[in-house]
Amino acid sequence: MLIIPAIDILDGKCVRLTRGEYVTQKIYGDPLKFAKQLESDGARMLHVVDLNGARDGAPANRELIMRICSAVSIPVEVGGGIRKAETARAYLAAEAARVVTGTRAMDDMDFVGELIREFGASRIVVALEIKGGKVAVKGWQSTVHKDYRELARELKARGVTELLFTDVERDGTLTEPNFEVVRELAALGFNVIASGGVSDVQAIRKLRELGAASAIIGKALYEEKMTLGEAEEAARPLSGLAKRIVPCLDVKDGKVVKGISFENLQIVGDPAALGKKYSAEGADELVFLDISASKEGRETMFSVVEQVAKEVFIPFTVGGGISSVEQMRRLLHLGAEKVSINTAAVKDPSLITAGSKAFGSQAIVVAIDAKRVGTGWKVFLRGGSEETQLDAIAWAKEAETRGAGEILLTSMDKDGQKSGYDIELLRRVSEAVRIPVVASGGAGSLEDLKRALTDGSADAALVASLFHYGEYSITDAKEYLAKEGISMRT
Amino acid sequence: MNISVIDYGASNLQSVGNALEKLGVSFDVITTPEGLKGTDKVILPGVGAAGSAMQALMARGFAAALPNLTVPILGVCLGLQLFARMSEEDNTTCLGILPGDVKRLRTELKVPHMGWNRVRLLKDSPLTKGIPDGSFFYFVNSYYLPVGEFTTGETIYDVPLTAIAQRGNFYGTQFHPEKSAEWGMKILDNFCRLSR
Repeated sequence: MLIIPAIDILDGKCVRLTRGEYVTQKIYGDPLKFAKQLESDGARMLHVVDLNGARDGAPANRELIMRICSAVSIPVEVGGGIRKAETARAYLAAEAARVVTGTRAMDDMDFVGELIREFGASRIVVALEIKGGKVAVKGWQSTVHKDYRELARELKARGVTELLFTDVERDGTLTEPNFEVVRELAALGFNVIASGGVSDVQAIRKLRELGAASAIIGKALYEEKMTLGEAEEAARPLSGLAKRIVPCLDVKDGKVVKGISFENLQIVGDPAALGKKYSAEGADELVFLDISASKEGRETMFSVVEQVAKEVFIPFTVGGGISSVEQMRRLLHLGAEKVSINTAAVKDPSLITAGSKAFGSQAIVVAIDAKRVGTGWKVFLRGGSEETQLDAIAWAKEAETRGAGEILLTSMDKDGQKSGYDIELLRRVSEAVRIPVVASGGAGSLEDLKRALTDGSADAALVASLFHYGEYSITDAKEYLAKEGISMRT
Repeated sequence: MNISVIDYGASNLQSVGNALEKLGVSFDVITTPEGLKGTDKVILPGVGAAGSAMQALMARGFAAALPNLTVPILGVCLGLQLFARMSEEDNTTCLGILPGDVKRLRTELKVPHMGWNRVRLLKDSPLTKGIPDGSFFYFVNSYYLPVGEFTTGETIYDVPLTAIAQRGNFYGTQFHPEKSAEWGMKILDNFCRLSR
């Protein structure tokens, strides 16, 4: 949720009113200085209101507001006295990010639709000022008082998406917002900007939970009831998503194998049976990696996936040797949730885009094998035997741009070492992309998992030998991580 | 008992089919509304985009038939979103079974919302019988139905979203029960056991 500090301007000064009454004003100082101060405090948007304009029907502090818009580099939302399309146009053509217009003041509701067509719905905010459940709407002859639900539906029909909701009876009172109406308007599909009575961090948390898009804070900030930083902290998005523990099973010629090197592989069992066992122990997802060398071996992967899908009811990814959209289609239709591509994606990056277009980005994982070279990391192919000139971080970003939904990141330096993941690599890639990153290579203890998910910012940890040799069970790992305060599905 | 799984060309039916088989439930895959005659229950799966899914439902005659169904129907993921009035995805008019409009997730968090998330049960529903409040389910979605009158379970991903909905014989889950391990299977089992 976005926190928007308010600057209300009356006669060129920054003021606050109580319940919208002009006689209750308190003067706080120079608006321009205040705007710059808020920007340097970390505000991400400002809400600037021309109170003279709101009262008298035409902008009176326009020059000053324009100066604020160009003095700061954050977006500015402007309201007060915007009752005509020309006024809105002038602000929007200057540097205002969006304008706020009120229903009470509108000469003609059609002008909202007109502005939306011209500037897009996201730049036109309609202020819904509720008093006793009613909104004052200017009609042809006189002002009528409409039920806010009815009016909200009318606005929706006109294409309005941004609603600034104020409960006039609570504005500037340092009490609490009208949460019930915020919830209702959000449920109707509006991006609700809550205003009025947002006086403490509890109110902000509550608004965030109710689905408000943003909250305007004024008096609470001026009177130091909370700092902007505290407000931002309370507004930070909550994700209930659990971090994932993902066992990885190597499959050769249709059987799960394990071994330190490719020469000493032991068959440990049937993929469907092992997948089912790991799922029952609490695995959040599985990866089946085909390491077959032969064409026949690769062909058996399709029946492996078919068998696994009949027994495993958690998502699973299939990787190894996938090089065409047609192969992806077969694997996904057999019941795999995602496919992972590695060498083929480097050789032909358009494969990422083609897969993502055909099946959605969530189905396309790009696996990256990275090794430290000099001060950075290079991408390696074919199990680490072929060096490329690709920088691993740049490649992760490119994969995202091309449509990858997830990065499976293996450190070739750490793989098999059991000395912990390459935390720096993980962190660098996690910071560079906005898609989930799965940590792989190096897990030797439960603490290593924790570091990957915290210091490394990984969304998931891939684990192979730690579980295969029975040192720890998945249950042990998840219990430990949950105790350490990491969100786990338990 | 006979369950009909709607195939409208938009989604992968294999996983739902595998889960039903695991539960020992027989089902038919149907491609026309004729298949709805005499059925006990219907499942509307969904992966893909709202626009093309609605087009496919209209082309095959399902769009007119589904809102009049009297037997239990379960919409999964996009299937639930298609029950809404409108979807912001491709600006699509949907089936209008549930009030409210589907919105794009606008958040600083990663989109799609992908992974295991907790569902808070708001109201009793036969669909969630025996399921502990706060259980995790597997989600993959970039759009969501805001919490409304018929939401029986909600999930927080920056905003509260409808995870489970019920309006009369219309049931829906935003998550994929067929990928949600034990509790997902329980949801499907509960649905299959509903009486008409």
